Amino acid sequence: MKKSTLSRRSVLRGVGGACIALPLLEIMGGWDGPASLPKRFVVFWTPNGTILKDWRPTGTEKKYTMGPILKPLEPFKSDVIVLDGVDELSAYDGPGDAHQKATGQGLTATALQEGDFKGAGGNSAGWGNGISVDQAIANAVGAATQFSSLEFGVNVYGANVGSRISYRGPAQPIPPENDPVAGFNRLFEGFASDPEAAKRRVAERKLVLDAVGADYQKLLPKVGAADRIKLEAHLDAVRDIEMRLGSGGTMGGACVKPELGPVPKPTEIVNTPAIGKLQMDLLAMALACDLTRVASIMWNNSATAKPFPWLNIPEGHHELAHRGDDDADAQAKITKINTWYCEQFAYLVEKLKSMPEGNGSVLDNTLLIWVNEHQKGNDHDRDQIPYVVAGRAGGAVKAGRWMQVPGKVSHNDLWVGCMNAMGLPDKTFGDPTYCKGALNLG
Amino acid sequence: MYGRGLVTSALLATATWGCHNDSGGSEVASAGSGIGSGGTDAADTGNDPNGTSGGDDTGGNNPEAQCEGITPGPSPVRRMTRVEYDNTVRDLLGDKTRPGLNFPAEEESLGFNNNADTLVVAPILAEQYQDAAEKLAEAAVLNHLPALLGGCNPASLGEAVCAEKFVTNFGPLVYRRPLAAEESTALLAVFNAGLDQFDFETGIRLVLTTMLQSPHFLYRVEFGAPIEGETEVRKVAPYELASRLSYFLWGSMPDATLIKAAASGKLETRADVAAQARRMLGDPRAREAVREFHDQWLKLNHIEEVQKDPDMYPDFDPAVLALLRTEAETFIDHVIWDGEGDLNTMLQAPYTFMNADLAKHYGVVGPMTDAFEKVELGPSKASGFLTQGGLMAVLAKANQTSPIHRGKFIRESILCQFIPPPPDNVDITPPEVDPSLPTRERFLQHSADPFCAGCHSLMDPVGFGFEHFDGIGKWRDTEAGKPINATGEIISAKVMGTFDGVPGLATMLVESPEVEACMTRQWFRFAYGRGEKNEDNCILDELGAEFAASGRSIPDLLVTLTQTDAFMYRTHTGEGESK
Repeated sequence: MKKSTLSRRSVLRGVGGACIALPLLEIMGGWDGPASLPKRFVVFWTPNGTILKDWRPTGTEKKYTMGPILKPLEPFKSDVIVLDGVDELSAYDGPGDAHQKATGQGLTATALQEGDFKGAGGNSAGWGNGISVDQAIANAVGAATQFSSLEFGVNVYGANVGSRISYRGPAQPIPPENDPVAGFNRLFEGFASDPEAAKRRVAERKLVLDAVGADYQKLLPKVGAADRIKLEAHLDAVRDIEMRLGSGGTMGGACVKPELGPVPKPTEIVNTPAIGKLQMDLLAMALACDLTRVASIMWNNSATAKPFPWLNIPEGHHELAHRGDDDADAQAKITKINTWYCEQFAYLVEKLKSMPEGNGSVLDNTLLIWVNEHQKGNDHDRDQIPYVVAGRAGGAVKAGRWMQVPGKVSHNDLWVGCMNAMGLPDKTFGDPTYCKGALNLG
Repeated sequence: MYGRGLVTSALLATATWGCHNDSGGSEVASAGSGIGSGGTDAADTGNDPNGTSGGDDTGGNNPEAQCEGITPGPSPVRRMTRVEYDNTVRDLLGDKTRPGLNFPAEEESLGFNNNADTLVVAPILAEQYQDAAEKLAEAAVLNHLPALLGGCNPASLGEAVCAEKFVTNFGPLVYRRPLAAEESTALLAVFNAGLDQFDFETGIRLVLTTMLQSPHFLYRVEFGAPIEGETEVRKVAPYELASRLSYFLWGSMPDATLIKAAASGKLETRADVAAQARRMLGDPRAREAVREFHDQWLKLNHIEEVQKDPDMYPDFDPAVLALLRTEAETFIDHVIWDGEGDLNTMLQAPYTFMNADLAKHYGVVGPMTDAFEKVELGPSKASGFLTQGGLMAVLAKANQTSPIHRGKFIRESILCQFIPPPPDNVDITPPEVDPSLPTRERFLQHSADPFCAGCHSLMDPVGFGFEHFDGIGKWRDTEAGKPINATGEIISAKVMGTFDGVPGLATMLVESPEVEACMTRQWFRFAYGRGEKNEDNCILDELGAEFAASGRSIPDLLVTLTQTDAFMYRTHTGEGESK
């Protein structure tokens, strides 16, 4: 059963992504197999760009000093790559304004669909038009775990192209879970429960989902093309649940069922730091327990107007990001905001590093990447996106350096590089016209 | 400050490129987003900057000439929203736990959350459908097994007989139509497997769990009924019409009367549908559905999310937000169902609703209890929903008012125009609060700088009219020690000119045919779960004409919406057949 589901997924990838569908065995051949330690891929996303001069290190590749924004990563220098110079080339093309394109193309690397989401300058756009890199990786490495992937959000509001980064396929955005209580229940409610009860639940669910899946399957040929795409996505989700029945987490090592203390209201701005920390704790434990191998955490959303009262910044982030280069106050505040985000990233790095696994840590078997929506907020510059990679993906990533990438290198090629590091053999990702060969992180 | 020529070109620029031409040209939209009809003078016709008004006011074409044949427009399969799910399981199973509240929020489009194109199912939602179905089925079997079995006693009549009775009697309620033989067979196979592996009750529970995850429950699946001589268009079949009516007017499943009408051939004609619609408007569920529309259209569902700066508003108690929402909902409810029922009253009523706590917030003497009662404020201060505190607080910043957002609201929600967000490379921080300067003076840069004026001349002068209402929606006579100047101006619309205060603005709005057309357009989007297309112009014209003829009656508009080609027919896209 597992096998047939995988082959169905490889077909879906062909439909969903712009890249060529690969034969099943080729996809599976790239994966080390369940006997070795699991590899994970995690995206950490923040909006509105950085201040490059405060972000960029000084020195040389191996001997460098972090800029003020990345200072919180100083203790983890040997675990990170400051990835400097990759361009979101595709995000200058297609429908949508700068924010819509940068957000919707950040992980899909292909032009957005036409649609009714209104943007700046009279532009409008629809959803992303391809699978996102995290989901492409989940299709290859996520079959063995209870969840193919997990999407966490911190105060992601609205429900449009600017508030989604992950896509199962064209126009199939995945909403992030903003509430740690709901996330906790989903991950750990039935965790390590009575084995007899769990067995019965699996048997019942299998019986029901078989019938539900058949119901959708029967309907598909009877409806029009647009409806079929929607119902197929639903069927795919049902099959996905069915495939994972009975696959629980792995106890032991760093994995313990966490305790969820009091949770403040996730929609209150002042609770952002507390909610963010809870979400990162859940994410880290989900990896340690092998409940999933692919995850993302999205902080706010594109063009967010939210202020940062805990940093004494009453202005909205987007408003600040729009101010000119010579507005020293705004520049200082944007640096402060990005430094705070870096502290959060460093917290996640530290957390994963503190979880022992094999001869190293969970971080050693993870590829964690910080993606910013833009390089620069006031002109929406999408060249030289300030990426930071952390972890070693089981040895496939060579950490401990400031990797300066000269010339025009597309983020398509970065994602191919990440896919390769995760064991996928792909040569292109997203819109293949931007692919010139993988950016090797090893 | 600028003559009409400049304003007009700014408006034209709005239509084609946004209000500003971005540097580099990389953000320039395609010409397709241009103004509705070539050659017409935007300033004279008040052309919709959105360009979506299409052929409905082009003058040069006779729209009637194009309105031949049946034109239902797109007919996508519609998935339940969270509210529809909760209402449906309430009406189907008596469950009031509202499980849909835990589902992910719907994706929004054109201001509404029920746009069929955006209601896709991600794995997390499928998981939640599963969880909800399991819990609902468990509770139903535990508490209502005899009712589910229709009184069939398995001990005396046999388990197989009762299971069959359950599928054939209860199944049609879940699927909102009779089941096909193969559907019953498949469900009975689930029952038998449950019976074999576990027991009778488990079998019944698993069948119900299956049905609650079926596409025929979660979606409104339609195939239509063939019409002789037509290949691309079909009539919506009677059971499908029953569901269209119930989800539009009640946000829930059909009742027994509707199902009976569908079964007996009494839900076929426009007259049949209109009669049912009128009956349904008398049910409390219609009030709920209409409230749901206004919660979204007037952003009432955002009132409780409002966060205000305690330094600026030290006396503001966030507990008042829920009361502000109740005020707005009670008002709408009253006008539409118990009052005049028309759009003009919604925009102009000199009264609102308050209870004791809310009256205290507003500083109004009157209500003494927790119950909401009608309070006359007079036509110089109150103007329907436009002057209510909830809307005013939503359309404001944490520490000040926002003429931009208030003007934008009038343009987008009331006139159905579109104002693009600010372009690249501009400082969009609102002017800082200055105790010595009124808001209007702090916003002067928007009209002084021609780069800003292109868009802001459409918004700010409208928003200034609301300056009597501070950031938490309370009336004020002065700001920064100076009397409030609430004069404003509308340009680039069908009714243009200056006004003083919101009542003055409302007088201009009710005179504008754009407001009338916009109201029908917003209801079109909500009722049909989709954005309007060019091919819908005939339907929009029809709706507009009927709405005007009825004295802008909202209940009449709801009935009219069930009479269009978009409601009675569907564009045939698949191969399936209805029963």
